[in-house]
Amino acid sequence: MDQSKAPPQESRRAFLKGLSASATLAAAVAVRPAAAATRTVQYGMLIDTRRCIGCHACSVACKAEFDVPLGNTRSWVEYVEKGEYPNVSRNFLPRLCNHCSEPNCVDVCPTGATFKRAEDGIVVVDPERCIGCKYCVQACPYDARFINPVTGAADKCDFCLHRVSRGIAPACVETCIGRARIFGDLNDPNSEIAKKIATNPVSVLRPGMGTEPNVYYIAADHSDEQERRRGSYVRVTTHRKEKERR
Amino acid sequence: MSMELNWGLPVIAYLFLAGVGAGALTVSASILLRGGGGHFGGSHFDMARYGALIAPLPVMIGSGLLILELGSFHAGHWFKFLNLYTVINLSPMSIGTWLLTAFIGLSLVYAYTFLATDGAPGDRWDALRRSCAWLGVPMGISVAVYTGVLLGAMPSRPFWNSPVLALIFLFSALSTGVAAIMLTRTLFRKFQIRRLEAVSASSSTRRTSDLDVEGQYHQSGYILAASDTLLIGLELTAIFLFLIFAYLTVGDVRYAVSVILFGGSLAGTFWFWVIFLGLVLPALVELYYVTQRLLLHQSFAVPLGIEIVVPTIVLAGGFMLRYVVVVAGQITGPVGI
Repeated sequence: MDQSKAPPQESRRAFLKGLSASATLAAAVAVRPAAAATRTVQYGMLIDTRRCIGCHACSVACKAEFDVPLGNTRSWVEYVEKGEYPNVSRNFLPRLCNHCSEPNCVDVCPTGATFKRAEDGIVVVDPERCIGCKYCVQACPYDARFINPVTGAADKCDFCLHRVSRGIAPACVETCIGRARIFGDLNDPNSEIAKKIATNPVSVLRPGMGTEPNVYYIAADHSDEQERRRGSYVRVTTHRKEKERR
Repeated sequence: MSMELNWGLPVIAYLFLAGVGAGALTVSASILLRGGGGHFGGSHFDMARYGALIAPLPVMIGSGLLILELGSFHAGHWFKFLNLYTVINLSPMSIGTWLLTAFIGLSLVYAYTFLATDGAPGDRWDALRRSCAWLGVPMGISVAVYTGVLLGAMPSRPFWNSPVLALIFLFSALSTGVAAIMLTRTLFRKFQIRRLEAVSASSSTRRTSDLDVEGQYHQSGYILAASDTLLIGLELTAIFLFLIFAYLTVGDVRYAVSVILFGGSLAGTFWFWVIFLGLVLPALVELYYVTQRLLLHQSFAVPLGIEIVVPTIVLAGGFMLRYVVVVAGQITGPVGI
């Protein structure tokens, strides 16, 4: 619990420090200095679902890293089964917060507890400010958020901010036995993730929501149980408390 | 339904109660500014008085319920909701917080000016009362509309993400506000008639109306019933627009609205409780009595039972509207992943 509490506090201090520093630096140059000048890094993730075997090691690593309370998940793997015998398939879809460039959760937060860090684009929650109104839980099109019953605040994946800020990869990336996950700076054209995204057909989840996710997928199966209405068989197993995707 | 509802009964009750309070204040202030403060004392003033005395209570109870729903409250941080008052941003909830606070303050002051049982137009509270009423109309409408904006602000909730929703909530708030005044007035019927008798006995110079006391009482009932019929008509129109535009589109919204259309899991609740019992039935009953006065020029007199049942089912329908909307919004989401 202490672990899960510490990073965002630290991040907020760093955020404010960075903000003031950059503001003084860039004030003479531009009218809108803070956001434009410092948002040089946008951390993101690329998940190659062809390399995912659905082992849930990422989910377990995340649970262990943050001591996520029983019944809640910051990171999880969905199974998508579809088709009629003999033409069937089962695909895996690892899920986490998309750290969107246009995060609707930030727009609706009434206390400013959730915000997108200017220095690395990670969307974080300050549990000290958060009152647990669940507005962001409603607003997230990806169901990435939940109310942590211990802190009473909204909680979600923070790209392992405490690790990333020390130059270590997120727990789910480190543990992935298929090396399906690549983490890095999307804005650096020489980073592995930027190169892979540039040279592969990639997709994001629910692009129609306009949130501009920063978690990319290779060969993601976008099939949804809603497609049953069109007559094709699809079953999604979420492996979390919410048995159905919304 | 395996879905977990993040916003449950407290939020549903809040949306309903805030609507009743906002509607009662708006209607009360409108009646006062329209006639009660000037030459139409008596029954008009009494209706404004009931609305004013009702208004703060449901909004305060509803806002209190919201605190019970907070995750921080459940975790034992009971006063953490005060963080809301450290920030002003464009989140509908932040705007709503300040709006509700202002509303509660204003409605309490407004109610205070009506507190004296011998209050009448032109007494020493008159100026303050009328100032509050001028602020009260836009304030009441704002609170009623904001509850719809609160839900409508999210593309991830296609059922709620409609500009018409705020309009439905506004009409429902005004209609349930009128219903709350009707119900209170009926329950305190004897008290009001006694007051009207006292007024007509004491003021021989000020002719409030050509009608006798019983007639005056029913005249005020006519105004309430007629405006309620109109408001229900507008609400049905708004609901029709909500449904038809959702039905005639494709994708997320079309799938979302299907939960309240025929075959949907909430269809029965919606069509029986909200549409039939809460809107169509009371509107027809009110229309029956209103048209007798309007077209046939008969005196308007409604049996006591009807005067109690009609506002009660309007209020029940208003609650069920919030129930259906809040649940439907949370069990539906964007199509595909």
